[in-house]
Amino acid sequence: MLLLRLWNYIRGYVIILVEGYFLEKFINICIHRQIFLWDIKKLKNSTMRLKVSISGFKMLRPVARKTRCRVRIVKKKGIPFTWNRYKRRKAFVIGAFAFVVIVYTLTSFIWAIEITGNKKIETEFLLQHLESMGIKPGILKYGISTDDITSKLMLDIKELAWTGVTVKGTKIKIEVAERKQPPELVEKNKPCDIVAAKDGVVKSMVVKTGQEAVKAGDTVTKGQVLISGAVPTKNEQINTRLVHAIGSVKARTWYEARHAVNTKVLDKERTGQQKDYYSLIFLTKRFGFKTDSTPYEECDRVEIVKKLSFGKDLELPLGIVIDRFYENRVTEREISLEEAKQAAMDEAYKEATRDIPEDAEIVNTDLNYVEDESGAVIANAVIECIEEIGVTKEIGGK
Amino acid sequence: MPVNRNNRRNKKKKEEEAKPKLKEKVTEILELPKEIVLNVPRLTLIGNGNLLIENYKGIIEYDDKRVRVNTGSGIIKIVGDRLVIKEITSEDIMIDGEIQAMEFIK
Repeated sequence: MLLLRLWNYIRGYVIILVEGYFLEKFINICIHRQIFLWDIKKLKNSTMRLKVSISGFKMLRPVARKTRCRVRIVKKKGIPFTWNRYKRRKAFVIGAFAFVVIVYTLTSFIWAIEITGNKKIETEFLLQHLESMGIKPGILKYGISTDDITSKLMLDIKELAWTGVTVKGTKIKIEVAERKQPPELVEKNKPCDIVAAKDGVVKSMVVKTGQEAVKAGDTVTKGQVLISGAVPTKNEQINTRLVHAIGSVKARTWYEARHAVNTKVLDKERTGQQKDYYSLIFLTKRFGFKTDSTPYEECDRVEIVKKLSFGKDLELPLGIVIDRFYENRVTEREISLEEAKQAAMDEAYKEATRDIPEDAEIVNTDLNYVEDESGAVIANAVIECIEEIGVTKEIGGK
Repeated sequence: MPVNRNNRRNKKKKEEEAKPKLKEKVTEILELPKEIVLNVPRLTLIGNGNLLIENYKGIIEYDDKRVRVNTGSGIIKIVGDRLVIKEITSEDIMIDGEIQAMEFIK
């Protein structure tokens, strides 16, 4: 039924009043002549209101004459009539048409690049890289080959393990997965040493090939040779034979971090005062307010970007940016020494553990407080680990 | 002779009476749509407000209180309130409104 009504609306119909004495005859003749009528309603004894399609209405005149009925149009409905009404208003039609064209053209460009999944590689770096490839906001989206972008990114940036590129609406979505960098290995047939990757005290060594250069208990520094690939021989002409050293060296290493204990804490608090500055974004340019000066002495700046978009992915290059400044009140607060010490130690511990590699085994954690010359208390965290420190290094190489 | 003629007439009458019955039987056996073969209307009434008459012949009277429709099985008189012909084509007519009574007039 709804479909039928919609169809009638598209085709256009008129609501008419029929006045006469032989209304039933009128209806019967109409039906006989294949004129489709609907919503017939009797108003008074001699009038009825009904709906008829445009083509049906044109065939109504002889029927009306035959039954001596008078037909009067009450209302014209449907798209053909609406269209006729607006056809005369040229500016309106042009405007409507222009709107469609503008929206269509604006949505056929790329206006945003979304990068997700990157942890170590900076988004800015990826964006710059993409720009050097010619992928930047403002380019036509039809010429973009996602396969090309994927393969280029994968070839150019070694840190990427996987890249997925999709064009959705006016957005390019780039999903990346980072690769854990494999250690640089020296080829099996090339002679090499095993050297220390970091400072430490050697705890144990297992030598499979090569000549050990240090003993357990020795203190080694970064870069020092642990297992030498130069093996002395009994042959007098050639003193040494170069081999590819293989072995494992485990050493104690220490990670240390310090953090000053401070009993004075600065508290930031929003006063509730805020100021908004508006600017307009069109295409990739920004108009209006653009200043680095801040309205308050102490404040936070929040940039709120509101872009005109259809749905989530079809973003138009039109929008406003609100620079919102929140005024802060900074107050100094005194906390107890215990609390301050704890906070400083937490900070120091966090800092120390940051550099510890995943495969290292933590054997000892030493937390203490020291006083420096000026009398300030400093939290000191020392973490002792046992880890593999040997890395291969080509003899005569870098 | 007159008796004979009478007899023949009687026979004819019987045949005429038998014919529709046979037709009815055949349609029943073959499960054909009755309203088309027998030229009778098919009425669909939803509640008391929505009546669809298929296979009708024409409308005789239309008013918002009373509608009379000519069909193969006589005139159907519909009495009600605010009766509106929602749709009308050469095959079917749909009457909306509050139907209070329906009557078949031979």
